[in-house]
Amino acid sequence: MIRTPGDVKTYRKELREALQNTFLRQTLDNFAAAYRESRAKAFEGMDLESLIAEIASRKDSALPRLDELLAEFKRNAESVGAVIHEAATAQEANEIIARIAREGGVRKVIKSKSMTAEETFLNDHLEREGLQVTETDLGEWIIQLRREGPSHMVMPAIHLSRHQVAELFARVTGEPMDPDDIEKMVKVARRTLRRAYLEADMGVSGANFAIADSGTLGLVTNEGNARLVTTLPRIHVALVGLDKLVPDLETALTILKALPRNATGQAISTYVTWITGAVECAAAPSGRKELHIVFLDNGRRALAKNPVFSQALRCVRCGACANVCPIYRLVGGHNYGHVYIGAIGLILTAFYHGVENARALVLNCLNCQACKAVCPAGIDLPHLIKNATRHVLDREGRRPLKNVLLRTVLKDRKLFHFLLRKAYLAQKPLAGDEPLLRHLPLFFDKAHGFRSLPVVNPRPLRDRWDRVRPDEKAPRMRVALFGGCLVDFVYPEQAESVLPILEKHAVAVDYPMDQTCCGLPALMAAEKETARDVAVQNIRAFEDSGADWILTLCASCGSHLKENYPKLLGDDPAWKERLQAFTGKVIDLSSFLVKVLKIQPEDFRGTGAKTAYHAPCHLCRGLKVVEEPRKLLDIAGFQYVPAPDEDVCCGFGGSYSLEFPEISAELLKRKLDHVEAAGAELLVTDCPGCVLQLRGGMDKRGGRVRVCHIGEAVGEGLKD
Amino acid sequence: MHPTELLRQFEEKARAVQTVVRRVSHWREAVRYAVDLTVERGGRTLAPMNLPPEASQSLEDATPIGTVEILRPPLRNHLQDIHTGLTPADWAIAETGTLVLDSTSEDLRIATMLSEVHVAVVPAGRIRADSLELKGEIASLQKNGPRYVAFISGASRTADIERVLTIGVHGPQELHVLILEEDAS
Repeated sequence: MIRTPGDVKTYRKELREALQNTFLRQTLDNFAAAYRESRAKAFEGMDLESLIAEIASRKDSALPRLDELLAEFKRNAESVGAVIHEAATAQEANEIIARIAREGGVRKVIKSKSMTAEETFLNDHLEREGLQVTETDLGEWIIQLRREGPSHMVMPAIHLSRHQVAELFARVTGEPMDPDDIEKMVKVARRTLRRAYLEADMGVSGANFAIADSGTLGLVTNEGNARLVTTLPRIHVALVGLDKLVPDLETALTILKALPRNATGQAISTYVTWITGAVECAAAPSGRKELHIVFLDNGRRALAKNPVFSQALRCVRCGACANVCPIYRLVGGHNYGHVYIGAIGLILTAFYHGVENARALVLNCLNCQACKAVCPAGIDLPHLIKNATRHVLDREGRRPLKNVLLRTVLKDRKLFHFLLRKAYLAQKPLAGDEPLLRHLPLFFDKAHGFRSLPVVNPRPLRDRWDRVRPDEKAPRMRVALFGGCLVDFVYPEQAESVLPILEKHAVAVDYPMDQTCCGLPALMAAEKETARDVAVQNIRAFEDSGADWILTLCASCGSHLKENYPKLLGDDPAWKERLQAFTGKVIDLSSFLVKVLKIQPEDFRGTGAKTAYHAPCHLCRGLKVVEEPRKLLDIAGFQYVPAPDEDVCCGFGGSYSLEFPEISAELLKRKLDHVEAAGAELLVTDCPGCVLQLRGGMDKRGGRVRVCHIGEAVGEGLKD
Repeated sequence: MHPTELLRQFEEKARAVQTVVRRVSHWREAVRYAVDLTVERGGRTLAPMNLPPEASQSLEDATPIGTVEILRPPLRNHLQDIHTGLTPADWAIAETGTLVLDSTSEDLRIATMLSEVHVAVVPAGRIRADSLELKGEIASLQKNGPRYVAFISGASRTADIERVLTIGVHGPQELHVLILEEDAS
């Protein structure tokens, strides 16, 4: 039985244990690298963006019509001999299937892999009813024998080593097993399971598609087990989530273009099986298969009607959101989901398996957007995870202190800034001559000590502005700077260092004083209303600036302003135009310098310093700015040294690093290891949050690589 | 796409998933291939399903008594002893190296699922660029059910133990596709 921690403390303890599992780490690292490559190869020459958009729109148009599609499916499938059942809950589905088995005089059941059957814990139910159930997908069979849940939707036993499998098989067969002879072990499974197929009275499968206009089920497998499960026994029961209903074959074939490619990097899975009605079956008394199709709701109808969450039902169960998740890669699926794992698992758990199982889990997201970027159905997974967090809070009717504080403080800019200034005084005894806290204040636990923390600046950017602002008499364009909390109150020097470049290009720069926190921390804490309040304040603050561009040095602020403000205000017609005027001007520093100002190498001294680059999640995936920072380094005369996993999260994730410090520390360690191994003397990035994380980690490990904002590096290299 | 280009692409994609692809010029050659392969693999049985009449005759000629036993339906009687399944395929898909078989006949299903080696014969003229090009044909089969349609791309495989690709888990351990070039229908 699967057990998922209901509180962060227990969850963190389990995560710490998982981090000690070196086999798992190595396996998932290898997998992450291999997956990235094979996926890219599989989609080569295809217009992936259009395909994703098409899948999303086909699923979106099917979801509001689920009941209509179900009726159509039922009509068509019944006309060719299938029996259709509907189950409102997991329990009901299990009972229906047990009843079919009882009435059919079934003793032995064989199964092909079905996540929906995992969802309902069907095997446990059937076994309690006295039935013998055998999983036939190799990975599922292995975990069934170990009495575990799957650790991945496509590769359920990826967490196990060949040694563990060999030991297990030796126990089951009573024969010695050579762990290095995987082929032999597969043959053992083939032999053993072949008997189970021949003896079974009933086969249970899931389905990847339920095609309404012909009453056809579509099943995608590599091993061929679903073909045997649906052919040999006299009874076939398919357990199908309502979300698998599609109108026609064309929709199924369109999804099939992406599903195997995105799941395993295969152009197509070895077997795709389409079953329409009760086909001939010599083992059945009637000569026809007894085919039952059980459609499961278990919360799907409600999800389909939910304006925020309906897109979760676009999921085609490829498992890719786990494959690219930096947290999954560290801790594996058993620690990153309940039954459904990965980003989609964090969301679905709250709806299919109750808030108690989702409570701690749903917080374990960096918002790094890697899952969103890889999803073949275009699901905005990080956005849904934050909404799922809110769903859990609302369901439980409680608010953590952090949320209450955020709500109170963040919407009152003056109070917020007053408190930030006070923070400087509070930390003063802890700070030495350097602007870093090497020892943690009392309210942190020691797991937070993996990086030094910066000191809040005694003079924030807003206080210095009158002194540092460029005085441009005849500007060729106007820029308003969006500081963000970190640049304003911690790293004002990052903004100051780019002013000379702007001045050189005759750009007038303004710093609207009513601007406040972008609001991302509120959204990350699932406080949407507060996030909306500050969004409104910021849009107002910039409206009178007359700026052509709203420039920010913070990738997280930038992507929040551009991507999330429309989500927060988009449904309000009163804000439509003002919102568009605002978001249309937001630009990151690298894009601004390279594409708008078109700065040239002649302007720079050209230090030739070996420079590594960290791509902030919210820049490369949020704002989709990939080439510009690297071009900027080239133009400004740095020697760019590539390092592995440049676009993998540094582990900061705002308050994530406080909630799950062990994961944050591990991601940071890997990042810095890569940078040091690349032989860099300088590490730059375009986000003050990443600077905080990377510089704090580099300081703590006593590393010699200087860490700074790309704007500082470039600004310093400007010729006088 | 030009037929030669389709054929070339099919061959490339099918070989990429360990399918053995050969061109043959008539059914006689295909049958000979299947019998020889069975002997070569040490197999003793061959289950032909849905072969055209001329192929059935060649099969009689190609199998001297005592070498390879021809299994006849119902194949339920031979679930554990089919070495080679020899069947036609209805279409092939170049994009993914896939065969499409209307497998509504249970005997055909058994021949293609429970054999150690599956030899499938498809006319060159039945190769299509991608699955969407066949959506009309397949949908009309499905609207005229009951129906069991199989897409087959390579031999049965798994990577469930340490992600090591292993061929031949529950289905055939080898897939051979013979492309019949005489028929351009």
